[in-house]
Amino acid sequence: MTVLTESAARAGVDPHLAPASLDPEADLMLLHFGPQHPSTHGVFRMDLLLDGEMVLKATPYVGYLHRGVEKLCEKLSFVQQTPIVDKNDYVAPMTNEQALNMAFERLLGVEVPRRARWMRTIFAELQRIASHLLWLGTFTLDLGGALGGGTTLFMHCFRERESILDLFEEVSGARFHYNTHTIGGNRHDLPAGWDANVERALRVIESRLGEYEAMSVANSIFVARTRGIGVLSGDLALELGITGPNLRASGIDHDLRRDAPYGAYDELPVRACVAREGDCLARARVRVDEIRESIRLVRAGLAGLPDGPICGFKPIRQPTQVKIAGGQAYVAIEGPRGELGTFVVGGGDPATAPHRLKIRAPSLHALSAIPYIVPGHTVSDAVAILGSLDPIMGEVDR
Amino acid sequence: MAVTDAGPLYRLPLAGEEEVAYEHPVLGSVLQAPGLSLAATGVDRLLTWGLTNSLWMFPMATSCCAIEFMAAAASRVDLDRMGTILRGTPRQTDVMIIAGTITVKMAPRVKKLWEQMPEPKWAIAMGSCAISGDFYRNLYPVVPGVDTIVPVDVYVPGCPPNPEALMHGLLRLQEKVRMRRAGQLVVREASPALLELTRPTIARLGDPARDRALDRQQEQAALHATEAEPAGTLSEARPPEPPATQARDEVTPSLEALLRDEFGVTDLPADAAPVIGADRHVALARRLRELGHTQLVYIVATHFPEKAGARPQPERFEVAYALRSVGPGSHVAAWRLSLAPGEGAPTLVGLFAGADWQEREQYDLLGVRFDGHPDLRRLMLPETWTGHPLRKDFAADAPCRPWR
Repeated sequence: MTVLTESAARAGVDPHLAPASLDPEADLMLLHFGPQHPSTHGVFRMDLLLDGEMVLKATPYVGYLHRGVEKLCEKLSFVQQTPIVDKNDYVAPMTNEQALNMAFERLLGVEVPRRARWMRTIFAELQRIASHLLWLGTFTLDLGGALGGGTTLFMHCFRERESILDLFEEVSGARFHYNTHTIGGNRHDLPAGWDANVERALRVIESRLGEYEAMSVANSIFVARTRGIGVLSGDLALELGITGPNLRASGIDHDLRRDAPYGAYDELPVRACVAREGDCLARARVRVDEIRESIRLVRAGLAGLPDGPICGFKPIRQPTQVKIAGGQAYVAIEGPRGELGTFVVGGGDPATAPHRLKIRAPSLHALSAIPYIVPGHTVSDAVAILGSLDPIMGEVDR
Repeated sequence: MAVTDAGPLYRLPLAGEEEVAYEHPVLGSVLQAPGLSLAATGVDRLLTWGLTNSLWMFPMATSCCAIEFMAAAASRVDLDRMGTILRGTPRQTDVMIIAGTITVKMAPRVKKLWEQMPEPKWAIAMGSCAISGDFYRNLYPVVPGVDTIVPVDVYVPGCPPNPEALMHGLLRLQEKVRMRRAGQLVVREASPALLELTRPTIARLGDPARDRALDRQQEQAALHATEAEPAGTLSEARPPEPPATQARDEVTPSLEALLRDEFGVTDLPADAAPVIGADRHVALARRLRELGHTQLVYIVATHFPEKAGARPQPERFEVAYALRSVGPGSHVAAWRLSLAPGEGAPTLVGLFAGADWQEREQYDLLGVRFDGHPDLRRLMLPETWTGHPLRKDFAADAPCRPWR
């Protein structure tokens, strides 16, 4: 008897049932994996029911970093929330800020100036490069010894990521947690000579990307560890609400930047990077391709960056200045991990704060695939699958 | 020094207060043997030198600070040249670096891991969350400072601290280890030589002239935006009319027609998604999926407490659902359920496997029941938690003994 009567998952593993192939005589072991483990990408725990090295059942547990962000946002005024959401997806704060402020802008009916929209797009694409680089470094670290200790690529990727953090530091003064988006636009204009620095950083990253590809997705050991591992079907991915590179790696050609354009994407055509296989290797390939695509988009964005004001809203003098009396809005953008949305209900008490604010976190949906795709693999593959989903626990637990 | 019951278990000695340096269990008896003290002093000096320069680190890394910690271990700052090695098991380490927020769900694990580390051991609290809880301090799930559960030796402030700051913290810890082995207290003022060594390298931070120019430039840009606008604050002067565009985004003509023709819903609000009866809810989701809305986007519950006054409203919960059609021209179809307290919403797990966690999260945080859900347990908070924090009557700073 399954409860997933009409779900695409019904054909495969049903996490709500005991594993069907359970041999009562088998010597099974329950392995608690996490919440403190170097390869869980934060504080994530899964209980693995093992028959030897083989996983029969995987039960994920989240919430070890639940910080009550949504309750905090109900207490703070609209303008105070940007630095709070920075800490949700702490690998990509720029897109967090953008998703939040776009939701407020829609409820307030504020028009964002064209220059600010382009700047936000450039920031988001740079952030995507930085986020994917960090993912590539830590993922090869997860795969471990097979890749020469795994730390080589980690070191390389962090070096390139630092160059992007330096660019953001020039704009906002912070390495991350930038607090540079505001309602109606941006807080900091680009400093003089910034585009030359961007070009220099991009040229370095671009010239070295081929080498990194040779060390990862084109490396036979890497391929052996990832091909055919953790195959996620497109139908199941859609049902679970999985978005971003994880969805595109399962053969679904969907990218919010192209399919529901926001910011400057209506003028900057985006090529969605898609792979068919749905395994760990496909997810890795999609992300590496996306780095290239983002480099192209940053260049195009800087080339076409218009002049003009960077904020379409009155300068904010005090936190209580912005009031939203009612209404609901959901605004979603394509973050590095997928559809990053903000659902906001206006009319809080007082009206300077939202009544309810929910962050739609792509990583939470990605992790919910674990019970479906991990069983049938070994423990070392479970680590590879978890890494390939690119979860960030800050936004999973909020 | 007396430790009262009410206070934290450990604290740093105040200025002028005596504190006993760490005593090695064997070393003490060796030193008492006649004639051996000279040799022992030499050995001890060697041990201390080895100890300070090979502090193996256990990353108790939970959130944002963990990324900066990784950056500190990576190529630019390269913490390894201090003799540190990262180990994944507490049993092989000397220093626990607590990088990130510690929640009440995580706190027992932190304590357990700390107890698994062999003596002598030290702790570095990295970042304001580990130090004090930062702005989460007064929130229900967060431990207000990790020094309430483990003794912290060095505090590295920042949100998050730069990798350079962490390096500074580690150098200070080495200094502390050396001095305490010698039976001395650590000097509290920062060493100017160390500060010089770990100053951030970005030129703009050390260049006041450049900063002022940039400030002026930004101020001009902001004022330029203001002048074009009519007087009065936008938010107050303008009634919240934009929801009209909002409704257009989420209620497409096809969804509107579907609701009218097949579900008899004629009341389409302008500022939010339409409200559906709970009995038609699963049928609508199934119908939308047939029409191509195959991706689950969100399930969000909202609590509306009882409202008195001119237009009194009873207490209710609203659950908002959204499905998305993928590919070019992608759009969201959204609807809501309105539930009285205690009333359950029919589950969507049978249709969308992803509704499992979404419904569990809303049950956990708001106490909305989802009828037919196969596994309706808490998702975020510990199983032992009482109450539902996102309800309006739940105090944001609710205590959770003994952690907060």
